[in-house]
Amino acid sequence: MQGQVEVHFTHPDDFRRWVKENKSRDAVDKVMTEQEAVSRFVQDGAYLAYDFSSLTRGPQALIREIIRQRKRNLWICAEFTLHDSPLLVGGGCCTRIDVGFLGYGSYIGRAVCDGKVQVFDNTNGVLASRILAGARGVPFLPVRNFLGTDGLPHSGAKVINDPFTNDPICLVPALNPDVFMIHVHQADVYGNARIFGTNLFALEAAMASKRVIISAEEIIEPMEFRKDPGRTTIPFFLVDAVVHLPFGAYPGAMPGRYEIDLEHVDRLNAIQTEAQMQDHLERYIYGVKDHLEFLEKHVGWPKLKELMQKASIKEGYQ
Amino acid sequence: MAVVEFTDTEFMICSAARLLEDRKTVFVGWGMPQVVAILAERLYTPHLVQLFEFGAVGPQSLTPFIRGTMGGPSNIYRSLQWINMNWAFSYAATGYIDYGMLGAAQVDQYGNLNSTFLGGTYEQPGRRFPGSGGGNEAASFVWKTIVVLKHEARRFVEKVDFLTSPGYLDGPGARERAGLPKDTGPWRVVTSKALFGFDEKTKKMRLLGVLKGLDPKEVIQGMGFTPLMAEKLLELEPPEDAELRLLREHIDPSGIIIRGEKMRAER
Repeated sequence: MQGQVEVHFTHPDDFRRWVKENKSRDAVDKVMTEQEAVSRFVQDGAYLAYDFSSLTRGPQALIREIIRQRKRNLWICAEFTLHDSPLLVGGGCCTRIDVGFLGYGSYIGRAVCDGKVQVFDNTNGVLASRILAGARGVPFLPVRNFLGTDGLPHSGAKVINDPFTNDPICLVPALNPDVFMIHVHQADVYGNARIFGTNLFALEAAMASKRVIISAEEIIEPMEFRKDPGRTTIPFFLVDAVVHLPFGAYPGAMPGRYEIDLEHVDRLNAIQTEAQMQDHLERYIYGVKDHLEFLEKHVGWPKLKELMQKASIKEGYQ
Repeated sequence: MAVVEFTDTEFMICSAARLLEDRKTVFVGWGMPQVVAILAERLYTPHLVQLFEFGAVGPQSLTPFIRGTMGGPSNIYRSLQWINMNWAFSYAATGYIDYGMLGAAQVDQYGNLNSTFLGGTYEQPGRRFPGSGGGNEAASFVWKTIVVLKHEARRFVEKVDFLTSPGYLDGPGARERAGLPKDTGPWRVVTSKALFGFDEKTKKMRLLGVLKGLDPKEVIQGMGFTPLMAEKLLELEPPEDAELRLLREHIDPSGIIIRGEKMRAER
């Protein structure tokens, strides 16, 4: 049984060559606006991955900027896609989704049934393994799950006989996204970055992707990373853009900093029809010029303060 | 004899919580499985180590349960380790995870699970669901998979519309032939009316018991396959007062997870 579908795949040597020629090892100031980061590094047709989810430390402000710039034909890695994939599909930005977990609300389910977006059923573990393969510089990784499923033929995976055990083994193709976006607790101007808490594949995806856009709650001094290097999540030379976006995970939570805005999330969950989707996009995304205006117009300081106060658990996030 | 009232979901949660063993490990999915694990940890299995797929190992989740925040600070509170998905699944792949708990839209007699779509074709499904998430990894790697689903005859089908997560595939030895880890597979199916296991030899689903007061014949009526029957069927006890109190007052006071159809039973 072999997966016979289109796969986003890059030969490891092509990726290495790209890294050699395009990723600067020079520590330069990469701070820019979200408009500039998205317009420079997210091209129409790009393969996009992100970490973690729309409810927890997701790069929500960057995703809204992608929609605002009306990017087209994106292919997304939907590991825990909850509210982001419906918005990206509703905004006409995304036409293909590699599914791990295809999240909330009836809008996205209907979009799949209506053929508005094409899905490729991987699994969360398969997508994480594919990104790990991309980060290891190998064309595939062998895994012992995914075997026996109907998802396998709808992914790019292949089954062969393992030369060591002589048992069947599943080979999942390496995934090297065009762009990886991550919202972090702290970054410096060069792109060194820290997150607190768990993650999906922060370092692997940053390593495996051609471009990395970081949005950060807080910009800190470069020396802070050298004083506590065990806590660096991503080193600067993987990073192309640093965007200072406080509340960049809103309406999701930033662990230890602010909680989820359930009211706003309920508004997203309630979107069912195309008209409701377009109204939402018009009001909250197209109708504001950037993240700051979005916060000022549609969230407001009292709400932000309330969400910060709700984030009372600090252990592990400082 | 007293009559106790509860929801179908509360019964499933209590039933599943009673299956877990102390001093073991469990892969916990989003939603109901989290509540099962918390209930078990508080009442029956204080040393249970939970594993969340996104890298929380051994969390001691705070309650009340907050909706929508599996990855949030209160759910992953006081974990032993915070790591990432590739390492989290590695614990299961190397045999460290004893139990896994999963929901599904459909299940067949070999415990194969569908959580991807119903009706139509893959390209144009009738209804689309979230898909595997980490369910496939749990069903492939853990030693004993527990499936939890609402007891509706239409969910028990001869053939699943899409095989998302593997049960015993098409029978004895099929998992091993496919290359899945040896001696793993579905162990129990917990529903809102019954408890099923799997026959050692044929790997087919077997009814182990029904909720006290229900007629087993009625319970299995309309299922897409006829399950094997245990020689002596268990009478499953309705939820205990202590379980219900913990669920309703401490774990899920706003009823996000535990709400459901009203049921009653005598005890």
